[in-house]
Amino acid sequence: MIDFTLLTDRMSELIGTAGVLFVIAVLSFFYIAVLILINVIKYKKKIDAKGDDFLLPEISYFLETGKREKQEDAFYISPMTDYVDNGLIACVSDGMGGLPDGEVVSKFTTHSLKESYPYSFEDPESTVEVIKDISDKVYEKYKLGSGATLVLVHIKDNHMHFFSLGDSNIILIRDGKATLLNQKQNYVSAIIQKMAEGNMTTRDAYTDNRARGLINFLGNYDCKVLYSKSPMRIYEDDIIIVSSDGVTDTIPLEKLYKYVNPQTSARTSAERLKYAVRNKKNKRQDNYTGIVIKMERSFI
Amino acid sequence: MIEYYQFKHNGGRDEYKDAIFLSIVPSMTFAVLYGSGMEDGAGEALNVLSKVFAGDEVQLEFDKLDKLVFDRMPKDAQYMLLRIKNESVECSKYGGVSAKIVMGGEMRLLPNGYFGLNAGDRIVCGTDNFIGNLSDEAIIADALVAENSSEWMNYMVRRISDINELTCGNLTALTLKVKA
Repeated sequence: MIDFTLLTDRMSELIGTAGVLFVIAVLSFFYIAVLILINVIKYKKKIDAKGDDFLLPEISYFLETGKREKQEDAFYISPMTDYVDNGLIACVSDGMGGLPDGEVVSKFTTHSLKESYPYSFEDPESTVEVIKDISDKVYEKYKLGSGATLVLVHIKDNHMHFFSLGDSNIILIRDGKATLLNQKQNYVSAIIQKMAEGNMTTRDAYTDNRARGLINFLGNYDCKVLYSKSPMRIYEDDIIIVSSDGVTDTIPLEKLYKYVNPQTSARTSAERLKYAVRNKKNKRQDNYTGIVIKMERSFI
Repeated sequence: MIEYYQFKHNGGRDEYKDAIFLSIVPSMTFAVLYGSGMEDGAGEALNVLSKVFAGDEVQLEFDKLDKLVFDRMPKDAQYMLLRIKNESVECSKYGGVSAKIVMGGEMRLLPNGYFGLNAGDRIVCGTDNFIGNLSDEAIIADALVAENSSEWMNYMVRRISDINELTCGNLTALTLKVKA
């Protein structure tokens, strides 16, 4: 038996306070655990309602300055808590090199896209309208004196819409192959079209660096957004990379699978890709930004 | 309603040996000949298809047309016959010509025989020399982005050009879009 009368009043007071705190901590723990459990059950119900093959995106990203003085890339990823209801929006904007305020335009773009969230998956034209509206505002301010590229994906219910302005990248890695989904909006495309119509081979279209100049970009007058009119089906282990051209100028498309593959997590893939670009030690390395999205089954 | 666009290119060769034939009566019927993929007999195959598509025989029921052409073609001829009728497509392939259909955001190889179509479905039919340069994902992506058949074709040609600058030999393909 312990004789509590031997404890001083001060000690008894402290033990009492500790006891009360302990009870509060235990109650708080259970309260939080119940809250988490309720949310998990709600989330599970939503996912179950989507069917057995419902896929969730695992996302990771990097944003690096390269050898540039300023960071002219910007990105936005919508909250994952909204994924089941509104899908995922992931976008990268790359301020146009050589023009002033590239960093301002790219940040304005991603910020404006964030402000307009959520987007209708069923009506991609409404997303195009938002993009064109942002572009028009940039045009009004800079009158072609500045601009940015934009690549955006909207993933929902195992399908993906994609939108593009300029020459940034939306890459799908499937079955060990990387495919650029969006065509680059530069003069090379226009020249190739003309040469092909004339039954010519197209070597000359690639020899002039000026042909890499953009035909369309965010901030252009009445820009033409390339976008999927109907969504593309995506599957388990598909990996989507949304990136600025600073990534693919250093790591070509056919080498991507070496760093980004379904055997590793999106986080590991993003890390490996980031270090692959860095380790190339390109003296003129542009800003490089990438969002890596890996589609996988829910573990809940 | 069907919208279509055809692409024929020498691919850096002196001679264009492939061919595309079209008849719109009584329903849209196409033939794609992969003459450049045939060791010999390309000229004879071209003659057979020219005569069939210039006369009334092209109006035969698809099964009968298929048999008639097959019987007249030289051995190992590489070609595909394709007919769009109402809301369906019938096709019959021989050798290195194939057709792929983009529907519901996915792509399938168009099988020999009858296949139902819906508005918005898109078909690319081409020689192995054309289709073989394109991944399925690239074909789907371009089909979903393109506003019409010619734009879709231009996107695919750009991809092939990026690989080989259109120097890979005769390139022949047909894009079709089913409209409401």
